[in-house]
Amino acid sequence: MEPRIRIRSITREKIEENFLASVFGKFFIEVASLASFTLRFFKEVLKPPYEFNELLKQSFLVGYKSFPLIAITGFIIGLVSTIQSRPTLANFGAVSLLPAMVAVSLIREIGPVITALIFAGKVGSGIGAELASMKVTEQIDAMQVSGTNPFKFLVVTRVLAATLMLPLLAVLADAVGLLGSLVGVNLKGHVSVSFYFSQVFQALRFGDLFPAIVKTFFFGFAIGLIGCYKGYYANTGTEGVGKAANSAVVFASLMVFIIDMIAVQITSLYQN
Amino acid sequence: MKKDTSNKIKLGIFISMGLTVFIIGIYFLGEGQQLFRSTIRISGVFRDVAGLQPGNNVRLSGINVGTVDNIIIVSDSSVRVDILIAESVSKFIMKDAVASIGSEGLMGNKTIILYPGTGGKKEIENGDIVQTITPLGVDDFMNSLKKTIDNTNDITDDLAKITASIQSGKGTIGRLLMDQSLIRNFDSTVVNLKEGSAGFKLLMDKGDDVDELLTSLKTTIDNTSSITGNLSKITDSIHSGKGTIGMLLMDSTMRQNLDSTVVNLKESSAGLKTLLDKAKASWLLWGF
Repeated sequence: MEPRIRIRSITREKIEENFLASVFGKFFIEVASLASFTLRFFKEVLKPPYEFNELLKQSFLVGYKSFPLIAITGFIIGLVSTIQSRPTLANFGAVSLLPAMVAVSLIREIGPVITALIFAGKVGSGIGAELASMKVTEQIDAMQVSGTNPFKFLVVTRVLAATLMLPLLAVLADAVGLLGSLVGVNLKGHVSVSFYFSQVFQALRFGDLFPAIVKTFFFGFAIGLIGCYKGYYANTGTEGVGKAANSAVVFASLMVFIIDMIAVQITSLYQN
Repeated sequence: MKKDTSNKIKLGIFISMGLTVFIIGIYFLGEGQQLFRSTIRISGVFRDVAGLQPGNNVRLSGINVGTVDNIIIVSDSSVRVDILIAESVSKFIMKDAVASIGSEGLMGNKTIILYPGTGGKKEIENGDIVQTITPLGVDDFMNSLKKTIDNTNDITDDLAKITASIQSGKGTIGRLLMDQSLIRNFDSTVVNLKEGSAGFKLLMDKGDDVDELLTSLKTTIDNTSSITGNLSKITDSIHSGKGTIGMLLMDSTMRQNLDSTVVNLKESSAGLKTLLDKAKASWLLWGF
């Protein structure tokens, strides 16, 4: 048995005795457990051996496999936001600002956040359910017995894959979203591709792109970490698998918004 | 194993695609901000930059040729704006170029507008400081508008007073428009004129009566003429000093004699008064 987990479970039982049926108590237990889990991740990620093959496999699963879903979502978001914004801008006689407005909102906010939410729904729940089922079927214990570090193999690779793949997905979602916006602009007007992109890049600044990409690293990290945490500490029984998958999505989505709020506050310090 | 390789290739393509899009984005953003072109830096000092920000465009003849690089407050009344301009267009901008702050549209960003200067001068170089025109800010515009509104208020106040005066019948225009008696007089004048013209028409229609009237009128004019002739003769006589009135008014000798007579009379009356006073005081006339 891994001593760290045992210590944690004992601590948890003791705390639960004191904070029986206390909602706040459970919340703080969850926070403490997640903090401990995060700390352990940072310790394990730096320690060799490194599971590159598993990292590539997980990157393929969470990145490449998520791309079609995220591309379709990005395209629709770009198209819809353009169509919805047109009447408002038309009231001001500013339809020519449509590409610039949609591009800024897409790159700054909508693209990264929607991508993260879709990612949380697909990948967060997948990781949570996968690890929970492994926990339920005692595969994690078996790995430990066989001498493999299950945390390093299962958690570190998945969290790293999610952290690295989400920014790429967000960039691609932005690009596909801009294409969707181009289609939206041309539904009720005629704007050439070159003119559209010239307007888009004229409106955008590095200050729009970089903070948006940087925050997707945090989104990916939070989604991967919460998915793994919920799966790794799932209750035994088939019920625990569903619960882990569900709470992973809910908690990860909530964290996406909280991180986004913090990121926007920090970014606004450097912008007007 | 084969599947693993295939997956790795797919992953590699996916990562390459994402990075390529990212790099293209970076390139075009940088291109827009002149990051990958050789540029020259020039500056302008403004009193008020009206919300200009680093990264805003610089336009020459309506074309984006650069960006605002930096904005520094030099003193409480001057702000230095550093501008990066593509080196390729520097040959069109002369040493006496002027920079102004404009707007890309009603809701658009602020922009620097460069006026290239007069031909024949040397072209601008790195580090030069160009002349500037302080833009008309919204506050200036509002102040100007406020003055106009104040003036308009004064004018409308005056107009209100004038119309009130007219309404109450004061002044010439007021009486002309509002005084009922004047209107009645005017009406009666018009009626008289109308009646007069009607009577005249009637007279014109009665040709015999007109003849009589004209004869009578001629007699009157003749009489008036003889009277004025006599009056003329009388005034001539008076003027030439003939007759009593003429001598009295026009003869200077007689006037002098008359003056001296009046003086003598005055002196005589004074002497007589003295004599009478003495006589009253005499004992001979006691009892009278």
